[in-house]
Order: sequence, then C-alpha cells, then structure tokens
Amino acid sequence: MMERIALEAIGISKAFGSRDALRTVDLVACQGELHGLLGPNGAGKTTLMRVLLGLVRRDAGTVTLLDRTLDPAGDAVPDGVAGLVEVPAFYPYLSGRKNLALLARLDDARRSVSRGRVDSALEQTGLTAQADMAVAGYSAGMRQRLGLAAALLRSPRLLFLDEPTSSLDPAGARDVRALARRLADDGAAVVFSSHDMVEVEELCTAVTIINHGRVVVSGAVDDLRMRAPAAAHALHTSDDAAAYSLASRWPGVTAAWGSEGGLALSADIDVLDAYVIALGRAGVAVRGLERRARSLESLFFELTADGSRGDSPATGSSEGAEDAHDLEAAS
Amino acid sequence: MSVRGCVAVVGVEYSKLAAQLKARVALAACVVGPFAFAAAMKAQSSVPEDTLFGRSVKESGFAVPLVVLGFAALWVFPVLASLVGGDVFSAEDRYGTWKTVLTRSRSRSEVFAGKVVTALGFSLLLVSVLALSSVAAGVLLIGSQPLISLSGVLLAPPHALTRVVLAWTTVVLPTCGLTAVAVLLSIATRSSVAGVGLPLIASLLMQLYAFVDGPEVIRQALITSAFGAWHGLLAEPPYYGPLVRGSMVSGVYLAICVLIAYRSLRQRDFAG
Repeated sequence: MMERIALEAIGISKAFGSRDALRTVDLVACQGELHGLLGPNGAGKTTLMRVLLGLVRRDAGTVTLLDRTLDPAGDAVPDGVAGLVEVPAFYPYLSGRKNLALLARLDDARRSVSRGRVDSALEQTGLTAQADMAVAGYSAGMRQRLGLAAALLRSPRLLFLDEPTSSLDPAGARDVRALARRLADDGAAVVFSSHDMVEVEELCTAVTIINHGRVVVSGAVDDLRMRAPAAAHALHTSDDAAAYSLASRWPGVTAAWGSEGGLALSADIDVLDAYVIALGRAGVAVRGLERRARSLESLFFELTADGSRGDSPATGSSEGAEDAHDLEAAS
Repeated sequence: MSVRGCVAVVGVEYSKLAAQLKARVALAACVVGPFAFAAAMKAQSSVPEDTLFGRSVKESGFAVPLVVLGFAALWVFPVLASLVGGDVFSAEDRYGTWKTVLTRSRSRSEVFAGKVVTALGFSLLLVSVLALSSVAAGVLLIGSQPLISLSGVLLAPPHALTRVVLAWTTVVLPTCGLTAVAVLLSIATRSSVAGVGLPLIASLLMQLYAFVDGPEVIRQALITSAFGAWHGLLAEPPYYGPLVRGSMVSGVYLAICVLIAYRSLRQRDFAG
C-alpha cells in the first residue's frame, strides 16, 4: 500500500546574516508515521520547524504540507496542520479556556462547535480542572499541556511537536508520548523533535538526525539501528590491564580505556557475552558492566560529534558520516 | 487574504481588548472626563479665557465639546491613538504569542489587516465616546443655549450642534494617521513602551514646532496641524483650506505608515 505523504520539505535553506542555519535540508513524513527529529543544541531543529510552519522565511526550497505547497512566508497554515514550537505562549490575562476559544475562532470554528472542541482538548490534556484559571498562574508543564490542547483543536493530520516533553514531569511526558502515538495510529503524521534519544528510539518509526543545519542521516528507525555501531558498555574488572589485553585479541570487541577508569567496550551483545565468560575463565572478576549507549544513541554520537570522542569505542566519525550519507541516499 | 479571515482576527482582538483593564479605563475616562470638566466649569467662577470658546463655556453647552476638542488635540488624541495602536502588535512580542497566532488558519496579511482595523476602530471608538460625552455633558450640565462663533455670529442651537459634530468629525483622519504611526512603531520596535510613548513624544515635538519660526510647509506637513483644522468650520463664512490640507496630510501618514508596517511584518522572521 502506498503511504500518503503528509510533509514534503525539499532543499530547505535558511541563513541568518552570514550564519547558515539550514543547508538544503530534506524532510519527508508520511501519514501514520511518528518521525523523530534529532540533533544537538543549535543543530537547526527548531529553525526547521519554524520554517515548515511559516514562522521563518526560507531562502530556498519547497514545503508541501498536506498536499498544499506553501509560499515562503505569509501563507496561513493549512487546516489539519498544527505545531507546538518550543515553550507554548498564551495571553496570560486570559484563562486557558478563553485562550483556546480565541484560537478556535482564528481557525474559523463556529462558537457552538468550538466550545465542544475546547472542552474535548482540555479533557485530553488533563487541564479541565484548571481551564478557568488565568494562564499567568499556570506552571510550565500546564502551559505545555495547553499548547498541546491548542494543537488538538485543529484536528491535526500533520503535527509538529518541538520537544513537547521538555518541561513535563514523567507522568506528563508519558501522556504526551501516548497522545502522539494515538494520533499516529489514527493516521496523522507526527514530527517529534527531542534531545532524548531513548524517547525517540522507543516512540518513532522514522528518524532524521540533523547537525550544523544539515541532515546527516534519515530513515526508518529499524534500518538505522541495523547500521548503527554496536552498543557501548563500560566495564570494570579486578584486573583491567588483563581485560584490555584479552579484549584487544577478542574478535568483534573494540576496547578503549575509559575516561573514568575501567574499559569502554563496543561489541554486539553475543560477542560481549562470550568475552565476559572468557574473562571469568581467565581469572578476571567482572565488578561492573554497564550499558552506556543504545545503538541509535551510538550512531547519533558518531554522526554529530565534531571530533573523535576520547572515551568512545566507536569507529571514526568521518567513516560514520559517509555511512550516514549512504543511508540517506538509500532512503 | 479573505474578509472572513480579517473579521475573525478583529473579533479575537476585540475579545482580548474587552479583557484588558487599559481599554476599560480609557473608555471610562472618555465618558467621565467631559462631565467632570463641565461640572467644574459650572461650579467655579472663572473660565479658561485663553482657550478657543473658553469664554463661552458657561454661556452655552455647545462650547464644552469645542473646548474639550481643543484640549484633546494637545494630549488626548495622541494617547487615544497610540493606546491600542502602539501595543496591538508588540504585545504579541511581549507575550511571545506570534508563534501561537501565526500557526492557526490565518495568513500574515489577515492578521495584519485585522489588527490594524482593530487599532483604528478602537481609536475612533474612544474619540466618538469622548465627543458624545462632551456634547452630552455640555447640554445636560450647562444647557443648549446659542453659541457665538469665532466670527462673533450667534449660532442657533441646531446649527451650533451641527458645527460641533462636524468639528469632531475632522479629527477622524488625523486620529487614524496617528494610530498608523503607532502601529508602525509597534511593529518596528517590537516594544509597547516605544509604540505608545514615541507617538506621544512625536506629537509633543510637532506641537512645539508651531512656536518655532520655521518654514510653513513643514508646519503644514505635521499631522498635529490637522487637529486644529476644525477652527475654519466655526468661522462665518466657514473656510476649508486647513481642513483639506490636514486631511490630505493625515491620509498620507496613514497610507505610508500602514504600507511600511505591512512590508515589515510580511518580511519578518519569527525566529524566537
């Protein structure tokens, strides 16, 4: 079955003065897809979201949202597209309910329709009890929930969420993830930007990693996981020198001295199991073995590192970047 | 850009204004101010002799709105014009709500048009309330006696009322022009303090220019000159030259400021 494209951004470039914020970025998301957007601080994730929502004028490229190609600036966001960019902002002297009612009016909803939608959005985000409080008295988490409620008012078929769990407590973050998953299950495309790679790896079906305003890799999470370097582990033993010596001779294990003592190991889990058993047989006691990075996380570090990491057991970054470009081309 | 979209924005802006203390205080001041002034004039023995129609303020209620009009030209109209116009765009910067507004179903053009219409409409609402309140205060507290025109001709009450209404009508365009200046400053500076304060300072400087022996063409190009154009309507026979010039100057201010403000908003990046 052909997946219907909800978002197609091709060749997006944006410069602020002499600084290139985005350089020929491509991003495609299909309906029913939870698409993670990963990148270190300043990579260009938020700028990309702002460009896609028409808040920032792009210098080059085309943006098509739900089959409508947008003017570089000034077009209204198409119906069915909603976004939550950074910390949501509202009129502090109005209640949460009134803020949502006004936004519904901007969306052209009739008052009778908007009242029902507002109540439903407040209920879905757990804000019904605080709905009539002035927003000035809301906590950061409540504002984040109100931002989600404002997005839900638009019955989104394409939803941009820029770090939506950043100011939420664990229960709130779980609710947001569940909401994003439910929307995707219902057929919406959700573009989910986050710093939290575990969150993205668990939640998203596709991911795009950007760094310095460029896409360094993009594809299905399962595909990227297969191409990612092995998970990184920290190992502490009764005799680290002997453990290092054995590791350097053990096929499939890459070892380095850890920055906090012990060894940093990179190996597939089966190989690692065999190596640890061999350590025991050699009379070296394992005092600690801790996973430091998941596979996707390792890939992220590899692709976004500006230089080699001293404690990283991963292969060189340039090689990884080439691999990433291959992946991107393949996808 | 659709009319329906602009109307939606205007509706939202007026809902926000209705919830703001400043809007309610300004409306209340426009209602109460003229009554307080007329009551004070009635109670005291002296009159503001150095003001146009000041001498007649206890003799004809129609002089009250004209005295208020003369005074308002100095301070009140710039305040009324910039109160909403100087804040309607920059408030979105203050609250960080541009990203909230511009990610709904309204284009930048519709948001701009709706906000400008709101600012102009609210300025004119305040001016209208002030005018009505001034006429009501004069007639109710002083009386509806005939008014002596600037040429010394006695104007019968219906005639006097017509001239008063026409005189107040002449400040509509200058008020719109000043509101447009405030809108431009609100967009350009992204600061409500500048948006509201700078038009007041600019008005004051323009009025001070009247006391300077500078070129007449500059004086005529100042929008504050248009606020005094009503004098010609209270003369016998009436003269309209200042009124025509003032209206043209106000129209130019309005058009230029709105155009620049529109371009500025269209081209802006809302990057954070």
